[in-house]
Parts: sequence; C-alpha cells; structure tokens
Amino acid sequence: MTDDFFACMGLPRRFDLDRAAIEGRYLELSRELHPDRFIGGSSAERRAALERSSALNEAYRGLRDPIRRAEHLCKLGGIDLDSDARSGGAPTPSQAFLVEMIEARELLAEATTPGEREALREKIEAAAEERLAAAAAALEGGMIRDAAEALVIHRYLRRFLDEIDGAQH
Amino acid sequence: MSTQEPMIADTGALFQIAEPTGRQATPRAPGRGIGIDLGTTNSLVAVAPHGEAPRALRDASGRALLPSVVSYVGDDVVVGYEAMAAQEEHSCAVISSVKRFMGRGIADVTWPHPYRLVSASGGGELFRVDVGGGRLVTPVEVSAAVLRALRERAEAVMGPVDGAVITVPAYFDDAQRQATRDAGKIAGLKVYRLLAEPTAAALAYGLDRGGRGLFAVYDLGGGTFDVSVLRLHDGVFQVLATGGDSALGGDDLDRALAAYLFTAGGHEGAPSRHQQELLRIAARAAKEALSERESVRVSVAACGIEGFEVRRETFEGLIDGLIERTIRACRATLRDAGVQPRELDGVVLVGGSTRTPLVRAAVARTFGKHPLADIDPDKVVAYGAAIQADVLSGSAREGVTLLDVAPLSLGIETMGGMVEKIIPRNAAIPIAARQVFTNYSEQQTGMQIHVVQGEREMAGECRSLARFELRGIPRLPPSMARVEVSFQLDADALLTVTARELMTGVRQSVEVKPTYGLNDEEIDRMVIESLDHASEDFAARSRAEARVELGRVVLAVRAALAEVGGLPGVLPAAERSAVEMQLTLADEAMAEPQSAADMLTLLRNQLERASEPFARRRMERALRAGMEGKSLHEIEQALAVEEAALDERRGAHSAETIEG
Repeated sequence: MTDDFFACMGLPRRFDLDRAAIEGRYLELSRELHPDRFIGGSSAERRAALERSSALNEAYRGLRDPIRRAEHLCKLGGIDLDSDARSGGAPTPSQAFLVEMIEARELLAEATTPGEREALREKIEAAAEERLAAAAAALEGGMIRDAAEALVIHRYLRRFLDEIDGAQH
Repeated sequence: MSTQEPMIADTGALFQIAEPTGRQATPRAPGRGIGIDLGTTNSLVAVAPHGEAPRALRDASGRALLPSVVSYVGDDVVVGYEAMAAQEEHSCAVISSVKRFMGRGIADVTWPHPYRLVSASGGGELFRVDVGGGRLVTPVEVSAAVLRALRERAEAVMGPVDGAVITVPAYFDDAQRQATRDAGKIAGLKVYRLLAEPTAAALAYGLDRGGRGLFAVYDLGGGTFDVSVLRLHDGVFQVLATGGDSALGGDDLDRALAAYLFTAGGHEGAPSRHQQELLRIAARAAKEALSERESVRVSVAACGIEGFEVRRETFEGLIDGLIERTIRACRATLRDAGVQPRELDGVVLVGGSTRTPLVRAAVARTFGKHPLADIDPDKVVAYGAAIQADVLSGSAREGVTLLDVAPLSLGIETMGGMVEKIIPRNAAIPIAARQVFTNYSEQQTGMQIHVVQGEREMAGECRSLARFELRGIPRLPPSMARVEVSFQLDADALLTVTARELMTGVRQSVEVKPTYGLNDEEIDRMVIESLDHASEDFAARSRAEARVELGRVVLAVRAALAEVGGLPGVLPAAERSAVEMQLTLADEAMAEPQSAADMLTLLRNQLERASEPFARRRMERALRAGMEGKSLHEIEQALAVEEAALDERRGAHSAETIEG
C-alpha cells in the first residue's frame, strides 16, 4: 500500500500545484493535528495525533519539493523509483545516456580550472532542469512511464552535480 | 538446552508503544505551567499564566538568574550562588557547566574540567562524577538538582506546579534531549515539552510583534551555538531549518581570553586548575566590560597579572575565528531553509555573549539587518518557554502552534558500516520512518540494528543512539520473515522504536540499549533517591517504587513472550490476549507519571496472575527439554540452574506463586 500524500493533505493529485496552496494547507492542518493540541487528551487521542501529524509532515515533505512530488506521482501510478524490481521499479536509463554520463565524468576529471568546472556544471544543470520539465509535462498528460524515465535520468544528473560540487571543496 | 537461552538483562529501556486503548484524558491545570531555561552557565524559570505577559521568577534576594552550579560539599546539595561561592575551594565537588556533559560518553569529554569522571560499572559509555565522600553523581542528577531548585522557587510563588516546558539547544541530539527529559523527571516535574531554545526566543519575540514574517535566531549560549530560521504565520511558528554547533559557546570566548591572559602573564605550559578557574572568571568579567568600553585592566594575582590592559581589538582578534564558525553555520542554515538574507524580517539575538560588539557586527553583516535585542537576551528563552507552558497547561491563551524540525539526520547502520538515512535533518517533527528487514536464514531468529544520528556517511563517525536486537522472529525460509521497524521522532525529537513481523503480524519486543542514556530503572532509582534527600513526599516515593516493581514484571513477561511465546502449546491464544491486554494496561499506567501506587500494584498483580500459567508451562517445557537423554545428576543440575534463571527472570512472580 502506498500512502497517498495528496489525499493526506486534501490536495488534487497532480504535479502542477501552487506552492502557496501547499504551504497554506500544511499550516492549516498542522494547527489542527499537532500533538500539542492533544496534551490534555486520552492516550489514544495523543497517539492518534502523533500518527496523524507524522503522516502530514511526511506528506508535506513529499509534496513541497517538485522533484519528490513528481516521483511520488510516479509511485502512485505504479512505478517506484526507489525500487530496483524489474516490474514496477525504476526504469533503466538508455545505453546512450550512460555513455554520455561516462564522457561527462571524463570531462570533470580533466577539468583543471574552476571556470571549466563551472561550464560543465551549467550544462548538466540545464539538462537536469529540462528532464524535470519533461517529467512534469508527461505527468500532466498521464504518461507515467515517460515521466519515470525522465526522473531516473534527472536523478543521475543531480548526483553528478553533487559530485561536481564535492570536487570543488 | 534452555539454560543457554539468553539471560534477560534488565539494562536498556524498553521502547514499546501501547495500543491506543486508553480513554482517560489527562487532567490539566490551566495556568500552572512553568518555563525553564536550563542553561550551561545560568538557568531561570518564568511564568506567563492565563495569557499574561511572561515574567521571570526571582529568588529571595531578587535575582532571576540561577547559576547552573551544584555543590556536593558535605551532605547537602546546594545550588546557585551559594554553590558558586564554594567552587574555588572545592573544585571537584562543585559542578558547573554540567550541560556540556549531558547525554555524553566519557570519551566525548575532551574539554578541560576539574572533575573526576568514573566509568559506569555496567560498561557502556555512561559515566559518573566522583564528588568526594564516596558519592558519585550522573550529569542528569546534577541537572535535576538545578531544575528542582527552580521548581521550588516557582512553587513558593504560585503553589503547585503542574508541568514544565524545558528548553534545549536546537542542535541537541537524541541522547542530550533524553537526558534533559530524565533530569526533569528526577526533579519531580511533568515535562510537557522540550522546546528548542531559538524557537522559544522566536515565540517570545514573534508574539510581541504581531506574529508574522520571516525571522532568524542567532543563539550563542554558554556552551552551545544554535541558529534557526522560522516563518511566523497567524500563530503558527514554523521552523524552516536549524543548525549550529553543540560544542561551541560563549564560554569558549572566555576560554580564549583566559589562555591569552595566562601567556601574557609570562607563563608557559598549562595553568593549574585553581589558576584556570580564576583566569576564567577574570576573562568573563573582562569580556563583559569590553562590550561597554574600548579597554579594560585585568588583575589575577595567582597568575602574577596585575593591571594588565586588554583592548577590545585584541579580544576581537582572539575570538574572530570562533565567531567566523558561527557565521558559517548561519549561512548553511539559510541555505537549508531556502531563504535569502534580504527576505528576513528580523534577526533575534539570544544569550549573554551576543552583547559582544563583534558578534553583533558579524550578525548584522551576514543577515544584512540590525539585530533585535530589545528583550533581555538572558531571559528571552525562558519567556518563550513560559508562553508555551501556559498554552500546554490548557489555559485559554490565543492559539499558538510550534512546528519544529529534527536537527540531525537519523540513520541506521548498513553493511560495511555505512549509514542509510531514514529521516533527514530539518524534516518537520513529529515524523516516522519505516524500514523492512528480512532474515538471511531459517535459523535466524534475531537481528541487530544500530541507530545513529548525524550527517556523516560512516556509522562510526555519527553519534550512536542505540543498538537493539529484534528477537522472536518466526522460523521462516530466507527472506520470508519480514520485520517492519518503525522509527518515530515525537514532537520533542525523541526516538521510539517499534517492530512488527509482517508475515505473522506479531509485534516484536524491541529492547533498546541507549548508548549514552540511563535506563528506566536507573531513572526510577534516582527519583527515589532524590526523594530520600529531599523529602516528605511519601506518595511520590511509593509511586516510584511501585513503578519499578511493575516495570520489572513487564520486562520479564515480555522477554518470555519473545523467547517462547510463539512456540506451539506454550501459550493458547485466549491466554496470550489476556497477557497482552495486561501488558498494554501496564504500559499505559507507566506512561502516565502521576499513576497512583495502588493502581500500579494492582496492575502488577493482574499481570502476574494472567501470565502465571504461561510461566509454569514454560518451565515445564524447559525441564522436559533438559531431561531427554540426561542422567539423574544432570537433570538435578539443570533443575537448579533453571530455577535460578527463572527466579531471576520473573522477579516478583514468587509472591504470586505462594498466593495461588
């Protein structure tokens, strides 16, 4: 069973959500559910408040960030990017993309000046944003598989960006 | 043979959450909550009953601050200024800055101090301080003495106290928070909530200013540094990110100056303890004077320093690196919050050391704002705690909701000593994470789990929170037994662990050995001891004793269930549910600090009665297993060992057997 973050927060199940709407709903629900409001309640009420506000905080974390939100929509659509199962798990990126990544890594290893690294970083950053936008478009069109494929590549690119940042320190 | 079954070690707190069956609401006492700022250097208590403005409570001499210093000289425990006066003469028996030791292991104590630390006998990381006269105290007990003094101060003013909000540095880890909560319990306080210090300060400021906007709080306490970024929105105080350094504080500014003075006095090597103490006191006074003046003259006769001039810029040169560390933490926290400095509506200063002009200048530069300091930075945290205590006591105060975050990531150790993060830092609390573990072989009925806190990738470099073993996993083919472990961080950012076997739905007993904590029994013993010293409250004493007794039986029964409860014929379903219901009732009664002694004793008797047939069958089974193919002599031996083991395990069961 997958917890539905959208249902938990009473928001429509779609990628294109207004950040202010998510924040507003979160504050509203938190005010109702926070364990502090049940300190005088029975132990059952206190326990329930703890569980409900834990679920709310988890949902908020999952929806606030567009990347997580997109990945969660895939999961609800039957593709879990955190799983490596053959069916219902993360799609494998294409051979061509993996070759591109290997080449990019070589470029990073050869980059000697901060300027070269920065140029590489910008290129990868742009590619990552483009993949996220593609995933968003696919999700709005109900194309879960396409979205998942874009998001897997997005994950690779983000990890590579982290490596570039790590190499600078 | 059954004697090879593991002995039940009653160390390790039992983290088991009861099913939600309790119907009884907790009675509240509106307006009877107090807020306590338990500081490294000073502590104070404030109240804000029924929506009133917060005020600090003063001692008979009109002083609000209580030095966090506890003297164990002689038989009496003395707290505050009086204890401070004895410090110079009895540096080993008068304990100050105990907050630095809270939730720490002996190996963590790398800073200089005059105390004799003694490793706890039971192994582990816990230590005690030898204060002389054959007396050993834990840091938790020392903190409890400070809290008790503040509780008594409050009671003298307002009569009975219902509960308290105690503040902790935002960056405190689980062990440090747990230690603080335990200290409250030992001091006889119902701890409503542990509140992060910067959040408390924001609460005091935010309500003052219409409760809207984006704020940063820069909190340089005596021994810790915290920074938080909060959003205030119609009574909701949402912490967006928090960061800091739990080993850097205002005391370090004093220490830097003290070291300089010592060298300036023409000394080499290290100062004696006595000199060190005098230097520290002189350095603090000089630091405070330099906030007002450009230069100050310092004399420390014991170090041959006479009228030595320290200029503000010299002092600033000494502390520049320390301040830079706090600024780096501020930048990182702003980044984590996703907030640009220019978006902030205000920056709040907390802690006496923020009076230092260099600190103010650095903060103003970093945040691009002139910091707010119109509420006394020494009192603002206690004020916020008092407001929250008033809300939680059930008074009709205008609604305030505090949404705080986990300061450090929570993870579990995986193969090769790597950490798998299961709850990231800055996640809003309360929050839970579930993780499924599976068995490697049919023979495997237990598995070790190591929970750590911190941001490093290797478990060895993170803070060890607890180790526990899942036991009683059903014998299923490899990968078939699936145990789901839930890690719950509550609103105090304290961890509880529960486990459930997914194939059978059986709840596992999770016995957590906190790496740096006291177990429940030790806390209960300390509660009893504190009552021995303090007093007349027999009801509380017998409550505590009844709790210890009940706790022992619960632990023994639960261990027995985990060991053999799943074997056929040992425990029929009806009997099991009766035993489990009694366990649940017992858990609930134990979770409520005010449960009466009679009630606890009654529950213990009921639990013993419900589990008696099970205990008997268990013993018979063990004997049968032992007798197969054994000589008479061996059987007799096995019997004797088994009896002894059972006695040990069942503890208070023997009384029941006679009765039945």
